[in-house]
Amino acid sequence: MRRVWVVLLLIACTATAVSSARGLGRIVEVDRGADELLYLPNGKFLKVASLGQAPVLADLIYIWAIQFYSDYARDDRFRYVRHVFSDVIAELDPHYIDAYWLGAMILIVEDGDLEGGLALLDQGFAANPDKWILPYLAAWECWLADQHERAAEYFELAAAIPQAPTGVRRMRAAMVARSGDLEASLRLWQEILDDPGTDPTSVKIAERKIRGLTVRIHQRDLRAAIERFRIDNSRYPESLAELHRVGYIRFIPRRPDGTDYDYDPTSGQISGPRGRILGDSG
Amino acid sequence: MNAAQRREPGTVPRTFAVVQAIALNTFREAIRDRVLYLLLVFAILLIAVSRLLSLLTVGSEVKIIKDVGLSAISLFGVLTAVFVGVSLVFKEIERRTVYTLLANPVRRWQFVVGKFIGLLTVLSLNVLIMFLVLAAVLLVYGESPWPLLPALCLIVVELGIVTAFALLFSCVTNPILAAVWTFAVYVSGHLSWSLLLLREKIPTAAGRALSDLFYWLLPNLELLNIKAEVVHQLPLSSGRVPLAILYGVSYTIIVLVVACYAFERKDFI
Repeated sequence: MRRVWVVLLLIACTATAVSSARGLGRIVEVDRGADELLYLPNGKFLKVASLGQAPVLADLIYIWAIQFYSDYARDDRFRYVRHVFSDVIAELDPHYIDAYWLGAMILIVEDGDLEGGLALLDQGFAANPDKWILPYLAAWECWLADQHERAAEYFELAAAIPQAPTGVRRMRAAMVARSGDLEASLRLWQEILDDPGTDPTSVKIAERKIRGLTVRIHQRDLRAAIERFRIDNSRYPESLAELHRVGYIRFIPRRPDGTDYDYDPTSGQISGPRGRILGDSG
Repeated sequence: MNAAQRREPGTVPRTFAVVQAIALNTFREAIRDRVLYLLLVFAILLIAVSRLLSLLTVGSEVKIIKDVGLSAISLFGVLTAVFVGVSLVFKEIERRTVYTLLANPVRRWQFVVGKFIGLLTVLSLNVLIMFLVLAAVLLVYGESPWPLLPALCLIVVELGIVTAFALLFSCVTNPILAAVWTFAVYVSGHLSWSLLLLREKIPTAAGRALSDLFYWLLPNLELLNIKAEVVHQLPLSSGRVPLAILYGVSYTIIVLVVACYAFERKDFI
């Protein structure tokens, strides 16, 4: 009989403990906001307290941060992202590459804080100057934000690292063209083409881009010359030869395939089939 | 009677044989104490971590497995060194087996050194087996475990220092105090660099001298910590590992000499 009472007592205590723990858990969940992160000590102090186990502590906080920032029920969860990733994880393990990019993605994509994300990637690149992926990611984010010049600068940083794949150099050249500097982009594509280490796919892409850029530069210069001619003479030139004869252009440019550009003297427009320009028509 | 046995007591081969016998006995004793059960815990921990990671993390799985593996090897090793080490000498005294032992032609320092070598052999075996488990898990992930070897080597050196301290304290006090002191040395050994920072803040010359004294007196265990470097496969300076081994071995010998001296002066009656 006594055993029965003991068992009943144990069951009652277990049930009470479980239900009170659940109730407390709900209360704590309500009380807890992102403010708790404010009290997460700086990584410099945690490093001291870790007694030589800083990398594993960084791992634990990294895993915890993933769970925390995946909780979409919290509206204020982005308040201390930079503190967690920059001041805590990066201080504990400055070579934790995944933490830099994940923190930056949370900041930029989830929180819309481009500058914060770029600052975290910059911090990571300063601590790991051989990791091209960090400026590469920063460049992509700038590109998505339509900051092409800034993107080109980041691609330049990434491309300067010897381990960076040719694709990074290609991205840099493309981004320089998007920022408006066609001549600089042409030079970069030419460098890729001239590099004996460039892979065959990149060679084909570079050749195509060089043809395209050459045409764009010619068309831009011709349009500017035609416009100057029109302002001076109140009419469009009869032909590109006239434009050259009266000194508006130093030479008559031709398409990369050696053919002349199509010129319409009535509208002053320069045009040509895109496939022929890029050499896509075979 | 063979040639070795016919040699006079106190010659090198006999000294070695005595130390070897005590070391072997210590090794067997530790195995009987089920120290190797820790390996099972380690294996389960590592396999569980590797399975859990795929659910919890974004990337970095291999990095985290390496971090957890190396930290667990280090911490399990330190715990074994402390809890087995602090009772090594005390247990012999309490059971009075030390009287029988020292009644034989065994020098006291041979007893201490034998105990040290025996325990360090157990710890090294532990570390080796734990590394093999870690290596197996890493190979499943298609990752080479060999770059971790320098860190593993320095973990063994660190365990040597901790074991020597545990043995020293075991010679002079009871196991509880010895465990507390050994942990204190382990903790301060990982914080000894902060004494240099403290030195800059102390205005008096005496205070600075005291800070310097403690800095050089305490083991600098952070010098033996290259876990982050090997996990990220960062280049290590050519002399770093050999110098760290040299530092650790020299420090261990100093502590062992002090332990031998303390045991020589110990009065059992």
